[in-house]
This record gives sequence, structure tokens and C-alpha cells, in this order.
Amino acid sequence: MFSNSQIDINTIPSLEDIILTPISKQYLKIILISKIAFFGVFFIILFLAKWFIDDDEFQTIIPYAFLILIIIVLLNITLGVLAFKKRKYALRERDIIYSKGLIVNSVTTVPIKRIQHIEEVRSWLARHFGLATLKIFTAGESGSDLSIHGLPADEAKRIHDFISERVNGNV
Amino acid sequence: METFDFSQPIRQSSKGILVIFGFNFYKFLKRFFVLLIAFGISLSKKNSFFNLTPTLIILVTSLILIIILAIAILMYLNFKFYVTKDDFHLNRGIINKEKTVIPKSKIQNVYIKQNLLQQIINVVSVSIETAGDDKSEIEISALDKKMALALKKDLFIKSSSVSAEISLEDDKKIFFKASPYRLLLEGISQNHFKSFLIIMSFFFGLYYEFKDYLEDFRIQERIENTVQLKSDTLMNFLITNLIVLIFVVIISSLFSVVKTFIVNFDLEVIEHQKRVEINKGLFNKVSLSLTPSRIQNLVIKTNRFKRYLGLYTVSVKQAMVNAKQRKSFVIVALERLQVSDLVQKLIENYNSKIEKYKPEWYYNRISAIEMFVMILVFNIPAYVIFGTEKWWINCILFPIAVGYIYLSYKKAYYQIDDDFVTVGSGVIDTTTTILEIHKIQSVELKQSIFQKRRQIASVIISTASKGTKIPYINEKTAIDIYNFLLYRVETQNKNWM
Repeated sequence: MFSNSQIDINTIPSLEDIILTPISKQYLKIILISKIAFFGVFFIILFLAKWFIDDDEFQTIIPYAFLILIIIVLLNITLGVLAFKKRKYALRERDIIYSKGLIVNSVTTVPIKRIQHIEEVRSWLARHFGLATLKIFTAGESGSDLSIHGLPADEAKRIHDFISERVNGNV
Repeated sequence: METFDFSQPIRQSSKGILVIFGFNFYKFLKRFFVLLIAFGISLSKKNSFFNLTPTLIILVTSLILIIILAIAILMYLNFKFYVTKDDFHLNRGIINKEKTVIPKSKIQNVYIKQNLLQQIINVVSVSIETAGDDKSEIEISALDKKMALALKKDLFIKSSSVSAEISLEDDKKIFFKASPYRLLLEGISQNHFKSFLIIMSFFFGLYYEFKDYLEDFRIQERIENTVQLKSDTLMNFLITNLIVLIFVVIISSLFSVVKTFIVNFDLEVIEHQKRVEINKGLFNKVSLSLTPSRIQNLVIKTNRFKRYLGLYTVSVKQAMVNAKQRKSFVIVALERLQVSDLVQKLIENYNSKIEKYKPEWYYNRISAIEMFVMILVFNIPAYVIFGTEKWWINCILFPIAVGYIYLSYKKAYYQIDDDFVTVGSGVIDTTTTILEIHKIQSVELKQSIFQKRRQIASVIISTASKGTKIPYINEKTAIDIYNFLLYRVETQNKNWM
């Protein structure tokens, strides 16, 4: 199918053969906590509005506002949980692969040769659950950078060491 | 040719004081623009400002000028640079001393520019651009032209291959020179709507800035008084609108033409042995060189009208170039043959005559949905404002939408061989994006749940300067392309820069 190519497409490693590893289940808790914190702010605002604003017309809107907010929260959390299962990664000899997204699924591969540097980030919450985030930077625009959230800390360290060894070895 | 010694710390040309002064003065004016206008207006009204006497005002003004001049002189005195075997060194700063060292190998580009002031006093500015953020950029604002060229050459000489490079550099020829006639054609065939938007935003910007003062002058009332609109007859109304429309079209086209002329005046593409140099500009003369190894994407643009006139535009996207400068890499008014020659020159062994593949039919469905949304966006406010009266607008919108879908599918294609990916796109414009496979930074496969059912996916290929999408192709093909590209990147030992 490729014009003028001497490479047999069937002999090269294929995306379909890769077994992607799901990220740590613990990370779901972090997602839920941050979502609750995020929507909690809206709930607090609504509650405050209910107690402190005396306008009658305004008070009639408030139940609807609550209803809409609750629907949004439920939808968002359901989608978040379903999408969580799609967060997978794989490390190969020459590249690293990250797949995510429920409605729009994307599988991004960055060749290790093209990695400029790699960071291991652990937030306060992530430390608590023994997780880490790997940030992988290429020379490209932000579009070609990867960040893999919710890796088990030792796994993150292993990948970090594996990649930085190769990145430094190549230079 | 004279020889220059850059190994000792030297200052720029003493005319530099003037350039720095001019630059600082301009910055000062720009910062206090609104304040100065306010000052001027109140002066003209009351003949005084905060009860200051004219003598005092003159005194203050000259004091400000002297301070700016003093700063310019100090900046000039403290600005020294020199070149060693491998690095470029720069010391600057009046109070905060700043030392910058740039390894020659990290220099991306050396530009030679000339603005109006620099043209008058016959100096050029040299800016050195490095890979990295734009803060690390360096500009030497006043050098003798010959000295600047020598410095540029010096910076491009790698310590290892001094003699070889020099002999190569002398072998140059002018590859392309845009004649005024072709620039005129290019200007006429520009997107005038864009020019119109630029003009509008400029005037709106001005208007908001000076809203209060304009209200003082009661301009609106005056205009309304002088132009007595007799809009009672429909004919009159139409004619007024027509005149306004024609006026807008003329102004916009004039703006496009003038802009094209100013930016691309004397556009030259000079071919050196190893790199291609571009010179252009009327007020701001720009000279920049393109090194093939740093080029990430080539984008060729034309449209039906321009193709008829034989006008092609090539944009070269280099690695790590910030958005402001990326614009200068556009070469306009090329002929068809020159385009293919230039492409050959910039990326070797490129072959465009291989089979073209089309996206799946699904592509049209997406375009149709886009168009449907657009028509909806037009219709809802129209319905709210005019009611059902103006429904005939859809008779115009509908054919446009169909045309859009037809053209965008017709122009979409992709080509892949062992070394290059070519993607064609565009609706009114015909855009061709070319990238070299070994410069790929990452590859992404994208698929929505609706596409999964129909086994359709898109491949997004990112280089250091932009992402290119092969839209809506068969899932199996997409995975094959994905594997193939990665295989090519990972098995070749070529650098991306």
C-alpha cells in the first residue's frame, strides 16, 4: 500500500500486538477526589446563594440549578470512571505508548530517540497513594508531549530510569 | 573583502547610540502614548497643563530626552561581544551585568535586518536565534553591513571545517527574485477579507483607546450633520450601501497590495551550497538563511485564482522558531517550476509523483456536520432578529455548504513513501504539507466511538514545528501507517535537527 517501499509492512512490529497495561486503580480515587473538590466548590456557591440572597425570583431558580448541577456531576463522574479504563500504557524497546479517551480515543507513541527529557512528578495526593506522573517532553509543540498519570511509583521509576539511560546513551 | 577580528571584545558601530536612542524613544512613546495624547489635548484646550508654564514643559521634555540619550550611551558602552572558536560571547547591562555565551552549534539562525532608521544611517542589525525560548535571543542593533556579513559567516563556521565552508559559501546564485509585477499579482490575489478584518480591528482598537476623547469632539454628531442620510427611499439606501461596500473592497485590496509590497519588497531567494538564503522587506529588511536539516515541514499553498496566475506560496517551518518569526519564512509569488525546484533544494530526493490515496467517504460526513452546525449558527440569531422573513439566506448558504464539502473532499489526499509524508488539504486554498519521516517527534492514532463502529481512524504526525493530520482513513490502513512511520523513525539513525 505504500508506494515505492521495500519494507514489507507485515513484518514490522504492529500496534495491534502490543499489550497495553492499565494504570494503577488507585488513580481512580485521585480522579474522584479532584472531581468532588471541583464540583464541591459549585455546590458551596449554590448553598451560599440559597442562604444569603433574598430575591424571590432568584430563589425559584435555585432548585433547577441544583438539578442541573447534579446531572452534570453524575454524567461527568460516570464518563470519568468509564474513561479511566481506557488509560493504558506500554513501554517497548524503542518507544513508549500511551492510550486514553473514551469518546475520542487516542494512542500516542513517542520514539525514545526523540525524547528530550523526562520528569517524574509526585503530588501530595499521589504520594499518599504511592503513585507518580511521568512527563515526557519531545522537541515538538505541546501536542507531541506525553504525560502519563497514575503510575505506581516503582513502575514510574523503572520507566524513568530505562528511558533516561537510553536518552543519555544516544547523545 | 575586508577582514574583521571578532576575537577581541568589540562594541558595535558608534551609530548604535542613535539606534538604541531611537528604539528606546519609540518604546517610551509607545508606553505613554495615551498619556501624551491626553496631555496634548488638554494643552490645546486650556493652553496649560496642571498650571505648568511652557518653559517648564520644554525643560521636562528635554530632561526626558537627555535621560533616554544617557541610557542609550551607557547601553552602548556596556555592550561588547566577541567570538571564540566555538562560542559567541556577549556582555551587556548597565547596572545588572549580563554575560551570555552561545555555543556556535546551538545557533539556529542569524538574521540581518534593517529598519527605516537603520537604513538612513546605513547600519544593519544582527539577531542571533538559538534553540530554546525566545528570551535567549540576542540582537546587536547597529553594525556595518560588511561587518555584519563577516560576523554571520564567522558564526556559521564550525570550528572543525573552517576552510571547507568558506570555499563553499562563495558559490552562490540567485535562485529566485520576485518582480514588482508578480508581487502586484500576489497582492491582488490575497485574501482581502483578512485585510478587511485587520483594518477593522485596528480602527476598533483605536476607537476604544480614544473613545472618551472622540466623545469630547462630538465626531459622531458632526458626521451625522454633514451626511444627511435620506434613507426613506429604498434605492437611496441600496446605493449608499453599495458605495460603502465598494469603498471597503477597494480599501481592503489596496491594503493587501501595499502590505504584500512592503513585506516582500525585493524578495530574493539565494542558493548557497548548503543552505538557502532569503532577503526581503522594504522598511524592515530581513535576511535569513534556511538550513535543510532544520526544516521540519514545508507547506505549499495556492488557490484556483492564484494557480491561474501561476502564483505559489511556500512556507518553511523550522524547528524552535517562535510564532512571530515563523511568518517571515513565507516565500510568495513563486512559479510552479520554481516551487518544485525549491522543494528539491530544501528536501532532497522528494518525489511527488507517487500514488495519491484518498480519505474514506466518512470525511464528507464530518464536513457535512460542520456545515450543518455553521448554518445553524447563522440561522438561530437570524431567526431571532428577522423572524422568518429572511429565510432565503439559506438558499445562498446551502450551495456554499455543498461546495465546501465537495471541494474539501476533492482536495484531501495523502502520499507516503519511505522518506516523506505528503498531505493535501484545503477548501478555497490548496494546501500541500510535506514532512520528512525521520523528523517525526510522535505519532498519534485518533478514533472516536462513532468512528470505531465504522472502522475509521485518523493519524496525527507531529514534527518539532507542527502536527499534520491524515484524516479519516480506514482503521487497518491507519494502523499500518502508524507502524510503518514508527518503524522508519526508530530504525534509522538520522537526527531530527
